[in-house]
Order: sequence, then C-alpha cells, then structure tokens
Amino acid sequence: MAKIFIVAEHRDGRLKKATFELLGASAAAGNETHALILGEGIAELAKELAHYGANKIHVVENSALKNYSAEAYSKAVAQVLKAASPDIVLASHTPTGRDFLPRVAAKLGVGLASDCTQLSFDGSKIKVRRPIYAGKVLVDVEFLGSGPVMATVRPNALGVPKPDTSKTAELIQETVELGALKTKVLEIVKGSSARPDVTEAPVVISGGRSLKSAENFKILEDLADVLGAAVGASRAAVDAGFRPHRDQVGQTGKVVSPTLYIACGISGAIQHLAGMRSSKVIVAINTDPECPIFQAADYGIVGDLFAVVPLLTQEFKKIKEH
Amino acid sequence: MTWQTFVFLPIALGAFGYSFYRFQLLFQMMKAHRGNSNRLDNIPARIMTTIVNVLGQRAVLENKGPGIMHTAIFWGFIIITTGTLEQFVSTIYQGATFEFMGQSLYSGWLFLQDLATLAVLLGVFYASYRRYVVRPVALGKSKDANIVLLFTGSLMVAIFLMNSFHIAGTHPWYANSLFVSQWLATRLGGLASEPTNAALGTFFKWVHMLIVLGFAVYIPRSKHLHLVAAGPNTFLKTLPREKGMTPINFEDESVQQYGAAKVTDLSWKDALDYYSCTECGRCQDLCPAFNTQKPLTPKMLITDLKHNLYANKDKILAGKLDEVSHIIDQNVNEDVIWACTSCRACEIACPVFIEHTDKIYDIRRNLVMMESRFPPEVQPVFKNMETNGSPWAFSSADRAKWAEGLSVKTMAEDSNVEVLLWVGCAGSYDERNKKVLRAFASILKKAEVKFSILGSEEQCTGDPARRIGNEYLFQTLAKANIETMNRYSVKRVVTACPHCYNTIKNEYKNFGGNYEVYHHSEFMAKLIAEGKLKPTKSLDATITFHDSCYLGRWNNIYADPRKVITSIPSARLVEMTQHHDQSLCCGAGGGRMWMEEKIGKRINVARTEQALETNAEIVASSCPFCITMMTDGITTKEMKDKVKVMDIAELLDQTTT
Repeated sequence: MAKIFIVAEHRDGRLKKATFELLGASAAAGNETHALILGEGIAELAKELAHYGANKIHVVENSALKNYSAEAYSKAVAQVLKAASPDIVLASHTPTGRDFLPRVAAKLGVGLASDCTQLSFDGSKIKVRRPIYAGKVLVDVEFLGSGPVMATVRPNALGVPKPDTSKTAELIQETVELGALKTKVLEIVKGSSARPDVTEAPVVISGGRSLKSAENFKILEDLADVLGAAVGASRAAVDAGFRPHRDQVGQTGKVVSPTLYIACGISGAIQHLAGMRSSKVIVAINTDPECPIFQAADYGIVGDLFAVVPLLTQEFKKIKEH
Repeated sequence: MTWQTFVFLPIALGAFGYSFYRFQLLFQMMKAHRGNSNRLDNIPARIMTTIVNVLGQRAVLENKGPGIMHTAIFWGFIIITTGTLEQFVSTIYQGATFEFMGQSLYSGWLFLQDLATLAVLLGVFYASYRRYVVRPVALGKSKDANIVLLFTGSLMVAIFLMNSFHIAGTHPWYANSLFVSQWLATRLGGLASEPTNAALGTFFKWVHMLIVLGFAVYIPRSKHLHLVAAGPNTFLKTLPREKGMTPINFEDESVQQYGAAKVTDLSWKDALDYYSCTECGRCQDLCPAFNTQKPLTPKMLITDLKHNLYANKDKILAGKLDEVSHIIDQNVNEDVIWACTSCRACEIACPVFIEHTDKIYDIRRNLVMMESRFPPEVQPVFKNMETNGSPWAFSSADRAKWAEGLSVKTMAEDSNVEVLLWVGCAGSYDERNKKVLRAFASILKKAEVKFSILGSEEQCTGDPARRIGNEYLFQTLAKANIETMNRYSVKRVVTACPHCYNTIKNEYKNFGGNYEVYHHSEFMAKLIAEGKLKPTKSLDATITFHDSCYLGRWNNIYADPRKVITSIPSARLVEMTQHHDQSLCCGAGGGRMWMEEKIGKRINVARTEQALETNAEIVASSCPFCITMMTDGITTKEMKDKVKVMDIAELLDQTTT
C-alpha cells in the first residue's frame, strides 16, 4: 500500500473526469489516496473527490490560485508535498498537468514519467507504461532512488470509476506561502468555438462531400454535441466550401488520433486516411460498400448518412439520459 | 569610291561595332553564371537536330499558321540577307554587284530576292493580323514586337521601292526577274524622269540599309535576340526526351550553397535560354498552372529571369556576384515557383528548346535546403519520407499488405525472378491503388511471369522530395533503394507508377542503379504483342485515356497504354481535346500531390471536364496520382455514378482469363 497524492484538476467549478480516473485507479489498488485541490472557493468541489475514492482531501484555498498559473501551482504543490512526503504523486497528462508537475518534480529533485497509459502498484512502488516513438513502442518504467515519484497519466487511459455519493473523506485545510509571484493571470479569454479542436477531441466526427452543403453539417454537429466531439471534414468538403480549412483532416490538413473517429460520407482517399488512421476506433458510414474507408474502419455502416447519423444521435442521447 | 563609301563605312562600322559590343556583354554575362552545364556530347546528333529544327523549322511548324509564317520570314530573310550584302558591297565599292555569277544565275537570284521579299511581307501581314486583330492570349502586349514588325515591314517595302525605281531607272532588264517590283514599277514608273527614278532607287537602297544597321544595333537588347541565340540553343539542347534532374554532390565540401538563390547561380545555358525566347507564348498556352489562373506562366518566368539578369548587369560584369539581387522578387515569387506541376508541357511546346522546369527546381532546391521555405503542408511529407520511407505516414512493415492472399513472394524469399515488381507507396498504402497492384499481379501470374517484390525493404523512390527541392532526402532514399536492389542483383524492374518509373529509369543511374525498367503499360503491351496475354472477354464501353505526364512527356510513352485498351474486345477508345504530348496534367506532379491548391481553378477539375466532354463511361489512366486526381474531379463534378476511373491494368485483368 502506497501513500498517493493526486493533484485534482478543475475548471469553471467542475472537476475534470481525468482526475476521477486517477482517484479510481489508486483507490481500486487499495492505496492511501490523498487528493490535493487548489483554488479559491473550492470547498464544495473538494467534497466530490471523495465519491471517486479519495480518503483524505487536502484543500489549498488561496486567491492567487483562483486562475491556474504554472508558477503559483508548482510552488503550492511543492510545499504541500514536501510536508506530506507521499510515495507517489499523480496528475493528468493534460495541458495543465504537463505544465506544472515537471516543475514540481524539478523543485523536489525527483523523477517523473509523462504521458503514462497504464499504472501498476506494488507496495509503495509503482511501475508505469508509456508509449514512445509516436506510439510505435511501449516502455515500462520503474523509478530508482528515494523521494516521491511522479507520473502524468493520459486522459481516457484508465476509465472513470462509478461515483459513490455516500462516501466522505477528511478535509484538510493547507496553507501555503506563495511569496511574490512573477506572473499573474488577469483574464481567461476563451476561443470562439464551443466545440473542441479536431486535434484535441477524444471523438471526431468528419463529413465528406456527400453532405452536399454546409447546412447539412448540422446533423454531424448534433451528434457531436451529444458525444462532446469535434467536427472534421475531408479535403473535398473543405474545397467545396462546406467547412473552414482548420477543420480539414488529412495529409494536407490536421492529423488526428482520437479514441473514436466517425467518418460520414468519406470515401477514404489516402490523403484522408493519412490524417486519421491512427485513431483508436474508426467507424465509417458510406453508401458504397466498395469504398476504401471500409478497409481502414473497425466498424462499417453501409447506408445513407442522412438516415444513419440522426439515428445515432437519437440512440446516444438515450444512453446519456440513463 | 564615292561619297557613299565615305558616308556608309563609318555608319556601318559604328553600328556593327556597337552591336558586337552588346553581344560581347551578353556573352560575358552568360559566362559569369556559376552553374555547370556540359552539352557537347553526341555532336552528330546535335548537328542533325540543328538542321531539322533551324533550317527545317520542324519545331516551329508544330503550330501550323504561325509556323508557316515564321518559316517564310526565316527563309525570306536568309535570301534577302544575300541581297543586303550585295547592297553593302555595291555601296562601298561603286558598281560591284553579284552579276559576276552570270546573267542567267543572277536573274534567278533576283527572282528569289523578289519572291523572298514578298514572302516576308506576307509573313509580316499575317503576324500583324494575328497580333492586332486575333490577339491570342499567348502573345500578350509587346513593344518589342511592334518595333520589329514595323522595321521588318518597312524593310520589305524599301526593297520593293528600291527595285521598282531601279527598273524604272537604270536597270530596266531587272523587270524580267523581279515580278513584284516590275508590277509596282509599272505603277510608279511614270512618276518621275529617269534620273529621278535612279536617285529614288538609291534613296530607298539607303533606307533599306539604314534599317538593317538599325536592326543590328537593336537586336542584342530586344526579344529578337533569338535570331542569334535560338540556333545555338537548339544545337545545345538536351538531346534525349528522358532527362533526369542534375544531382548535387553533397560530398563536395567546398559547395557553400545548394540550388539557385540568384540568377547567376543557374548555368550559362539558362541565360542562353532567356536570350533565345521570342515570347511566342506556346509554353503558356499549354501550362496547366496558367490555364487555371495560377500566377505561373512559363513565358513570364523566362522573361522575368531575363530582366533580373539584365537588372544585375553592372554587378555581374564587375564580378560582384555576391551583390546580385535575389531571384525571388515580386515577379518570380514563391507562389510562381510552387505552382509548377512539372508536367513539362512548356518544354515540349517551346520551338527553341528552352528548359523551364530545371530552373524552377533549382530555385526550389534553394528555398527548401537553404532557407526552409516551402508550403507548410510539405513538412509532414518530408518527415514521413525520412522516418517511414513514404510520403504518407504508414508503417513500412505494412508495405506488402496489399498482396495478402495473392502468394506474392518477396525478394528475400525468392530473388531468382524475371522481374522485380516495384510497388511504390501508392500501390502499398492507397486502398484504391492497392486494387490496381492486385490486378497487375494477377496479370503477371496469368502471363506466367515470375516476379517478386521488395516488401518492407522497398522505400519511396524519393521522387516527391526531389521535385519539391529536397535533394538530400531524395539521395538518401535513392541510395538506400539502389543498395537494396543491387544486393539482390536486380536486372529488370516493372512498376505501375510513372513517377517511380521515371526516377528508377532516368535518375538512379547517376547513383549506381542501372536496371532495365518497364512501366506496366509497356510490360502489358509487350505481353499482348508476344501473345502471352489475350483479352477474350469483351468490355462494351467507351474509354478515354488520360496521359500521365511522367509517362508521356517525360518518357515518350503514348502508344503502349492505348494498345492495352484497344486490345480489349468491344472497347472503344476516344481521345479528349488535349491528348498525347498536348495533354493536360492532372495537377499532382512536381510534389503538388502533397500541396494544397489554393489559387484559381483546380487543375484536376479542368482535366475532368475534358474527360467528361468525351461522354466516355470509363476514364482510364496508368498512374496512381492521376487516378486519385481524376477520381476527385469526377466526385466534384458529381458524376461518380456514371463515370468510373480505372487503371489499364484493371481493364486488362477484367478481360483476360
């Protein structure tokens, strides 16, 4: 059994799913699971961490931590960890996690493995698996030396545990001395698109020329809204002016590798396949059973996308509601 | 000697002296170019091509109307020049004419003079009609052309007037030979007295001579420099149609710069190319980039490079090559350089054998290897070629997957074969092209040809890298492939990709790769001719064939793919408006396959429209890139349900048993 600290991530008053994954994995292995949450006005949010397996919850309330900044976060986390001296520290391999945790590791002079996809706990030790060479090889990493060892874990790699709302945990208020900070976040300006970028989204739904018009992409957007997906397009669709170039998936556009890629009315020219074939699961919807996309797809639906996509939207909605 | 001698000699010497001085400067500028070009091999063939194309005007006559016009003016001027020579001689040494050749020969010569003058004048009329009335896009506007037409027309009129007054004055017996001048003389003869007529004859002789001298001064600085440059340029042209790009020697550590950053980094032959250009615009007429509103026109590229050279004249002549301005300017900008599909239509069309593509690729080399300036979408192409040996990001372990279930062997398993089947990246990874390779493998089996593939040992030939300008990457891949093929002692290679074909056949020999290379269309035509394969099932369809540039214009193969189609029972071959060496590119060559086409109309759509005009049910091709581009074009035109794009190997496989 190890003493594990998990740094929680939250934004806009909501905890990130990736944090729940870490808590779940740690708790499932029977570890002493500590959650560490930083921010301002986060007392209520902190309690939710218990539902996913946190035994103890360390809360750092500080106005300087209201908005995330690498400098303030790494200082605060380093201070708490120094006092608590855990065996293992985990954070998500998100833009935030990969920003502050390496800084903390450097401050404490300890090792860190990034972008891990699998964790195995053994007593107070941990072994992690991580891909290298763009996923061509997987390596197992063990840590040498003393001190807390650190890892950032790829989101969606471990799975979100079922929450147990009956669970509670001890809340420990921590105070940190941040001193004079060199940077201060004044304002967060959000990007114009509510939908995630195709390169970052876990699910991408792309449409081809067979959508026939820019307006018809609405049916893909509806499905995307249900799945929290990004909407991409083939070169033909972009050339036809249905979508902007930044949505183009393919050799000359964006290269994506989401967990799920749904290709609607895309024939699967090599130019397109080169941009999405490393997606984990590929679903293709096309009327022509001969078209090349079905060679690359894990699941194929031979049918009219105008009939199939709304059905999918409907069914996914039902699943989400339950 | 008369006063005429003393007036004429200084003027003539001054004019010719100045003209010689200007030519000498042009020659110095040409010599100052840093690039090398060795072009003195195979002298007999060079003499032959000069006779055929300069004296015989064959290339010029490819375009009939203007060709006949040019031939008339060209030969007319050669004859008239002998007349001009007589005038010079008789002016310097009073009374000395060519009459010493004998009365009958001289009469014949006079007749020729009159005929030639008429021919040139008619030529000038036609040229003026074309330039000012018809106004083809190719010609554009040209001050030079206006001056030249005015000069030439005036010259001919002066000759006729001179001869007419001679007939009316001192030489009435000329009338027997000079039929046009005689006709004119009967209308002018009564105008003046005999001495006045004689004086007017002398006057127009002077007019004629002074215009000729003016011409001598004017030529070196005008587009009519082609009078002098086009002949040598023809003699020094690249002889065989198949040409590879010149390799860079990366072992030579004294080389400080790759590719051309300045005009002077190109070779002396490139300068001779500009000197030879008459701005006829035939290159532009056929250019797929120009015809789809891209900023590239091969004609303007040549004249812009020429102007760049002239603008840097003083620096070049002073030997200050470091101060010469950059080749990329507002005229020759990066959009111009990246618009080329390397289809080589410009070079095929050029009547004076200018080589446009070499210049573009030398400039690209500099942009890519020295300045890292290229369209951003090319970055992953280079990266994929470096890490995966393919422009597309697919694993080399998957190269042989297309052949699963076909019991195709790799060279590692069996290298004792008749021929190596070079699959290429498209054949290995493109789902559409995998079918073509499966069809071709099936054909080889039917014809009992023993073959193997390289499988995961094959890598991209390097063609895309080379055309985009990354010579280093090309050479890395080329050397690795040659090493692999030589290790298996490969003698014969067949490939379904014209780009691989061209590279292995024409470019690998510079790096120690010498093979007998066949394109699959040649190979299939051969199998059919030898009776090893006979299509027996009929295919009742109208088929149009789209020529791949790297098969056609680069390697002169037009008949073989067509033979494959016409060997199929019931198949009807129809041609598009542009075909054979006049064909329109699909838009994917020269690395354009991996670039976005953001400017103007898409080339593949323009070509697809030509294919659809034929009402053919099948668009056949023999190139994976062409198939991709034509398929995209047909999807764009929403004709997917009516027209199929197929490789000729698929057609043959379907119709043979």
